[in-house]
Amino acid sequence: MKHSFEVDGVDYQFSLSRCQQGYRLRLSNKVIAPVVFSQQGDGRGVLTIAGESEPVRFAIDGEIIHVHIRGRTRILHYRDPLRTLACANNEAHHLLARAPMPGLVVTISVSPGQPVSAGTALMTIESMKLETIIRSPRDGVIDRIHFNEGESFERGAVLVTLSEEGR
Amino acid sequence: MRELPFHTILIANRGEIAVRIIKTLRRLGLRSAIVYHEADAGTPAVSMADTAIAISGRTPIAAYLDIAQIIAAAHKASADALHPGYGFLSENAEFARAVIKAGIAFIGPAPESIELMGDKIRARNFVQRNGFPVAPSAIEEDDPATFTFRARAVGVPLLVKPSAGGGGKGMRVVRDLATLEDAIAQARSEGQRYFGDGRLYVERYVENPRHIEVQVLGDSFGNVVHLFERECSVQRRFQKIIEESPSPALSPELRKRVCETAASIARAAKYRNAGTVEFIFGGGEFYFLEMNTRLQVEHTVTEMITGIDLVAQQIYVAAGRELGFSQSDIVSRGHAIEARLYAEAPERGYVPTTGKVLVLEYPDGDGVRIDSGILQGQQITTAFDPMLAKIIVHSPTRIEAALKAHRAMRELVLLGCETNASFLTRILREEAFLSGHIHTGYLEENPHIASGEPASDLSGFLATAALLTRPVREPADAVPELHAAMGSWRN
Repeated sequence: MKHSFEVDGVDYQFSLSRCQQGYRLRLSNKVIAPVVFSQQGDGRGVLTIAGESEPVRFAIDGEIIHVHIRGRTRILHYRDPLRTLACANNEAHHLLARAPMPGLVVTISVSPGQPVSAGTALMTIESMKLETIIRSPRDGVIDRIHFNEGESFERGAVLVTLSEEGR
Repeated sequence: MRELPFHTILIANRGEIAVRIIKTLRRLGLRSAIVYHEADAGTPAVSMADTAIAISGRTPIAAYLDIAQIIAAAHKASADALHPGYGFLSENAEFARAVIKAGIAFIGPAPESIELMGDKIRARNFVQRNGFPVAPSAIEEDDPATFTFRARAVGVPLLVKPSAGGGGKGMRVVRDLATLEDAIAQARSEGQRYFGDGRLYVERYVENPRHIEVQVLGDSFGNVVHLFERECSVQRRFQKIIEESPSPALSPELRKRVCETAASIARAAKYRNAGTVEFIFGGGEFYFLEMNTRLQVEHTVTEMITGIDLVAQQIYVAAGRELGFSQSDIVSRGHAIEARLYAEAPERGYVPTTGKVLVLEYPDGDGVRIDSGILQGQQITTAFDPMLAKIIVHSPTRIEAALKAHRAMRELVLLGCETNASFLTRILREEAFLSGHIHTGYLEENPHIASGEPASDLSGFLATAALLTRPVREPADAVPELHAAMGSWRN
C-alpha cells in the first residue's frame, strides 16, 4: 500500500512492510531495512536503521508528526491516500490570493466586483511589525474579501478570491 | 552597603526579558510585579512574578503600550520602582515622566536623556556637534517640504528610517531612486503605527558594514564607564540574530578607541543608567548610528564576559547609588556568543511561524545560559515579536565559544512550532563566521544558508514518522513477513 508524507511542500511516497528484524521502508529511490523504532515514552525513541541507532525526539499532533534527529527538525504531514483525491479540483475558475505568512489585515485597497490587473495592490497585511502588500496574482474581478481590517489570519489562509473576467 | 530603597518592582514587559529581570530581583531580595495581557497568561514570566496584574487593549501589543493602565497597575502592586525592559515603552520619555510623576522610580535614564539620545535625529545632531563621526543624511523635520529632494541628494544606496524607531522596524533600503517615494510612504505608515510617530530620516547606507555597539553605564554622580563592545553583524532584515563579544573585527587599539568614544558620547550626554551606543564599522572607520537608552536584548554577552549583572546595576543606579567600580576594574574575560531563537522559517523568507510548543528541551552545561520566555504547552502566536529565547555561551576563546554554541543549538529541541534553530546551527559552522568575516549583508548575499540543506536525506525522518503513524504501521503489521514475501511472488 502506497502512503505519502508531505515535508516542506514536497510529497514523499513510500510503502512499509514487515521484514525479519523489523520493517522495510520502500522509498521511490531506495529501500531501507531493517528499520526498528523503539518508543521510550515522553516523545523519545531510538531509531535503528541497519544496525545503526540514533536518539529521536518526536511529537504527534493529529496527522502531523514533528521529528528531531541530530539537530534537525522536520514536520511530516501524513497524506491520507483517499482524502487527497477528494480535495483535488474544487478551486477551478477561482484565483486565490493566499497569506504568505500569519498576520493581520491593515488596509483593504479593493472591493468586491472591482476589476483588477496582475500586480494591483489588494491589501496591506502586517506580520511581525513588517508591512507587506498583497498583490493580485493576475487579471480578474474581486469576488470575495475574506477578512476585515484588523482581523488576523494564519499562513495559507485565502485572503481574496478573484474570478476570471467573463466567467 | 545600605539597603535598597525599593521593595517591589513592576516589570512593564513580557517574555524572556521579564523572566530575566525577575531572576535578578529574586537574587536581590526584591518583590516582583508584572503586568500581562491575557494572551500571555500562563507564560513563565507571569507565573514567576510575585504579583501579576492583567491589563487589556485593542490588541495585545496595545495593552503593553497603555501608560495609564500600567501606572494604575504599579500603584495596585504598591511598586516603588518600574523596569521597562526593552521595546514597548522602554524608550518613551512621556512614559518615564508619567512613572516619575506617579512617585515611582524609573529604572532607566532621565526622560531628558531618552528625548535627546532616544530620538535618532536629535542624537545624531548632538553627537555631530560634539565632534564624533556620523554618516551623510537628510532629516525630514528640518524642512518637510524639501525632504524628498534632500533625500535624493544623499544618494543611493540609502536607508529610510522612522525617527522614533528601533530594532530595524520600518527601515527600508533604497537602491533605485524611482522607489524612494514608495519606501517613504511605507516607512511612514509603519513608524506611525509602531511608534506613533511618522517622522522619517534617510541616511547613506554603507554596503557590507559591521554593526558594533558598546555597552555603557552611568550613575547620578557623573561617572560613566563602558563594558566593552558587542558585535551584532549577523543580521537578517536588520534584525540581529547572533551577537558576540569581543568583536573579531577590532584590533586592541581600535577596540579601545570605539569603547572610549562610546563612553565619551554618554558622558557628554550626562547619561545615567544602562545604554548602548551603536556604530557602523566599515573600511577601518566607524561612525555613530544611534543610542539605545535601555537594556538591549543582547546585554547577556556583556554579562558573560564581564561577570556584571546589568539589571542589578540598573537598579542600583536608579536607587541613587554610585557605581561600585571604575573603568579599570571592568575586565573582559573569554568570549561570549548569543543566538536568538525565533519562531520563523528562514527557508521561506523568514516568515513568522505559529504553533503549540509540544516538546521543549534546552541544552545545558558549563558556560551555557538560556534566557527563555516560553514553556512546553504554550501557544506561539503572531501577537508579539517572534523571539522565543536566547542561547548564550561563554568559553575561553572565540573558536571554542563557536563550537559550544553550535553544539548547544543542535541539542535544543523545540517541536510543534517551526523555528530558526537549524538555520542558526548552519551559520555557526559557516567558514565566514568561524573566521570572523561576517558583515550585516552577509545572509542576504548568501541565501543558501537560509534556504537549508539541499536534498538532505530524509530517510530517518520518514522511517520514524512511518512507524509512528497508525494507518501506515497497522496494515504492515497485519501481513506477516512470510505472506508479504509470498504476495510479491504471486504478482
